[in-house]
Amino acid sequence: MASTQHVLLSPAELAYLHAALSLTPPIRPDGRAPAQFRPLIAETGILPGTNGSARICFADGTEAIVGVKAEVERTRLADGATAGTEWEEGGSARGEGEDDDGGDKAGDSDWVGLTVEIPGYRDDDAGTAFLGAMLSEALLADGAFARRLWINRRFHWKLYLDILLISPPLSYPLPLLSLTTHLALLATRLPLLKSEGDEDPFFDDDWAAARHLYPRGSGSSRTTKESARPPVTLLVMAVGNNIIFDPAKEELAVADVALAVSVAEDTAVATSTAATMDLDDAAVPAARSLRLLSIRTIDPPSRLTPPGVPNAANSAYGATTAQNQPEARTAEAEAVEGVWRAPRGGAKPLVMAALVQKVLEKGGVADEVLDALDAVDLG
Amino acid sequence: MSDRRRINGPVGATIPPASEDGASREVAGSRGGRSRPPNAIRKMYLKTGVTPSASGSAYLEIETSGRSGVSGLKLSCTVHGPRSLPRSSPFSPHIILSTHVKYAPFATRQRRGYLRDPSERDLGTHLEAALRGAIIADRWPKSGVDIIVSIIEGDQDRETSKTQGDESWDLMNALSGCITVASAALADAGIDCIDTVAGGVAALVSDKGDGNPSIVIDPIPSEHDRILAACCIAYLPTRDEVTNLWFKGDLPASDAELYTKLVEKGIQASAKANRVLVECLGETVG
Amino acid sequence: MGLKRAVAGRKAAASGGNSSKYEIVTPGEVITDDPQWMRGHGTYVAPATTSIISSVAGTVTRTNKLLSVRPLRARYTPEVGDLVVGRIVEVQAKRWRVDVGSTQLASLPLSAINLPGGILRKRTETDELQIRTFFAEGDLLVAEVQQLFADGGAVLHTRSLKYGKLRNGVFVAVSGMGGGGGVVRSRRQVWTLESANGGGPVDIVLGVNGYVWISKHVETPEGLVDKTSGITNIEESVSATMYSSQNDRIGPETMREIGRIRGVVTALVDNGLRVDEDMVMRGYHEAVEMAMASGEGPEDIYLGGERGEHLAAALTAV
Repeated sequence: MASTQHVLLSPAELAYLHAALSLTPPIRPDGRAPAQFRPLIAETGILPGTNGSARICFADGTEAIVGVKAEVERTRLADGATAGTEWEEGGSARGEGEDDDGGDKAGDSDWVGLTVEIPGYRDDDAGTAFLGAMLSEALLADGAFARRLWINRRFHWKLYLDILLISPPLSYPLPLLSLTTHLALLATRLPLLKSEGDEDPFFDDDWAAARHLYPRGSGSSRTTKESARPPVTLLVMAVGNNIIFDPAKEELAVADVALAVSVAEDTAVATSTAATMDLDDAAVPAARSLRLLSIRTIDPPSRLTPPGVPNAANSAYGATTAQNQPEARTAEAEAVEGVWRAPRGGAKPLVMAALVQKVLEKGGVADEVLDALDAVDLG
Repeated sequence: MSDRRRINGPVGATIPPASEDGASREVAGSRGGRSRPPNAIRKMYLKTGVTPSASGSAYLEIETSGRSGVSGLKLSCTVHGPRSLPRSSPFSPHIILSTHVKYAPFATRQRRGYLRDPSERDLGTHLEAALRGAIIADRWPKSGVDIIVSIIEGDQDRETSKTQGDESWDLMNALSGCITVASAALADAGIDCIDTVAGGVAALVSDKGDGNPSIVIDPIPSEHDRILAACCIAYLPTRDEVTNLWFKGDLPASDAELYTKLVEKGIQASAKANRVLVECLGETVG
Repeated sequence: MGLKRAVAGRKAAASGGNSSKYEIVTPGEVITDDPQWMRGHGTYVAPATTSIISSVAGTVTRTNKLLSVRPLRARYTPEVGDLVVGRIVEVQAKRWRVDVGSTQLASLPLSAINLPGGILRKRTETDELQIRTFFAEGDLLVAEVQQLFADGGAVLHTRSLKYGKLRNGVFVAVSGMGGGGGVVRSRRQVWTLESANGGGPVDIVLGVNGYVWISKHVETPEGLVDKTSGITNIEESVSATMYSSQNDRIGPETMREIGRIRGVVTALVDNGLRVDEDMVMRGYHEAVEMAMASGEGPEDIYLGGERGEHLAAALTAV
């Protein structure tokens, strides 16, 4: 589904919304503060048949469910990896010893399959593909995620992430889908490996012994390069001089520019506490440092909104001047206060930089969101 | 979904025999570094009006890095429209833009099908966002325009192994080319734009020799040891505005400077491509 | 829900006479086999019997000898004389198609609006060609249901100075409610509220169809008499503002209070309470007091999540 889904708002409504959101401080239609998110209900581990699952529900009834399933798959050896397309000599010489800290545990982005399903939209819809690409891009950006799925040199986990929106979206669903995916991955557990070396994998069938894909706390033997938690993608937009987070549909309809910013938490915290094995004090968020993974411009639907007609040019208002002109040209008149005009052109680079800065700054919104997600009980 | 309209190759394909060739192996190992200064984009060739049957068209070619076995980027774009919308569609006060980006089946190392795959749809969405900001959409109410970009050759080094994950970086180069060529074709079709938009890519790379990562513009993935982050920017030079920004990679948030610099370089790359674009449009008239 | 239940019960007791208890029936349930009753909406009669069977899940209402079932949740069913807020979705040659939250799009013929330049002016071909200058896709309007078709479609009209295009405010959709909460038909659907904190007068339009419009109150006549140098008759100029899409200047205080009222309406809906003049007024005063009591002062208009629940609890407690 595209961000440019058909938004039907009257020019008068758009002009009002734009005026209200441009005030300092902005007055949002639902009264939220600029950086405040919509209240939501989150739970994890709702589907016992999956390796990990989560559900998030907004007050307006929009709801997303994510299920994560893992399967063991045979790793294609480097020789056969690009089988039959071209002569590919020396294929075996590459691909090893490339990763500085992961040793031979190289992962492949093919090991993760991510699908987004939105009711009312075809699954090959460009907007759905865009959402899916955005979510998987953030997940795979640091290159460390696929490495978690490594079992041995011959086998790996293939992880399927199925992201479902339960009802047709009332607003651009990106933040909802991203938060749900984040929780589902946090709750994901893989069975404990019992076999050793490169033999066929053999697992402990005790689910209680299964280890988390993202181990909680610092008591893991994993390399410190990997982030402790999955990425989150935040939607942020600008109107006038104001920066607004988690916009609702009608707010997005008057946006000057909208960005989707993906961030992940760095595990710099864990390095110092590698020796402390108790899980209680490990995840202290005090020294959280963030990593920027991906940014995409979301085409704001504001460009497709109908323009208002100023009274002076409105023949239905009694203006006689405009009567001989074709209707389409009235939009060329200069801006009049209280009349909506769809924005043209792009955004100043400085405005975009300010948006990103607002997400990343210390104690900023990304920090707040990660703290809030920390509070969700992972069952 | 497999393509049922055409005869595909047999399922159980075998790998053609490949012999170890010492010489070429060495070349692959050294992977010859970047031959241009970090601030230079590759030479490009742009021509408009190549397809007479379309309302507007353009062809873009970006030179190869000069080594054998490496192809450059070759793009062709056609614009059909503006034309009136079908009767069934609702009224629109603006022009309806639809963008299609398709790799030719032979454009990349691995053959692509005839149906568009998710990454091509994704590119189409990016391209749409980049162009929509540049078009004066309310000049053409109740009409639609189709913009079709075919990637004839995909700028890929067939010597690089697939496992390096270079393919995702190639998409950014392809997108920046798509934006430039589509902008030229739109101008050729006589559709009102507020400015010419061009694409530019900048990347943060680390090379084997020196430890410090550096920022280069118009990167070729195979020329660098590792790409840490990259961004593709669609930029309107006379208005100093960005219509599309796509950043990908892994950057520490504490170092905002790095990100800002990367975007700056991306804008620089885009401005350089824009100069070629403006020159090309000027030639068409003259 | 509890409050509504009490109201429904009281209504049944007052009108029905013989049934004082509140009844919920499900589809297929026999309500009565007494032949003295006539079947109304939400019921059917099985062939060759006299028993009236419910066809929806809802509450039974008995009006004189008419037996009908009101569904618990349903789309809006138009009735003649309803005041509705609607959005234009399609413009045709001589009429508009309007979304009013019903099963069918309502239609507004060109002949059912006041044309500028005199109420009783004859419709001309020029008007037909310029149909989009009166209402275009996306425009919001307030209108009255004039006539119903057999398929449930409604025909609207705006032939009154209180109807027409909406501007200077915000829209909230409170749809899909039917029996539980949401907008109910009541004595007054439109009123002006003197808002707190210097917001000035604010108009509230509760469309019977569940679409709500909250806007700054504009004193139309005086302003326009000035403009048209005081000579032209008022009626004519008033009908001209009917098609304006230009907002007047609205102060931040007014915008804040409009936002607060919108929050009250959403909170009422989220908590399953009915939305009518009384509830909105009480909710608004409660919300103003809540904001005063909170640390942020009157600047704070957020009423989502827990605050909305507090507000609803305070209203139902009385």
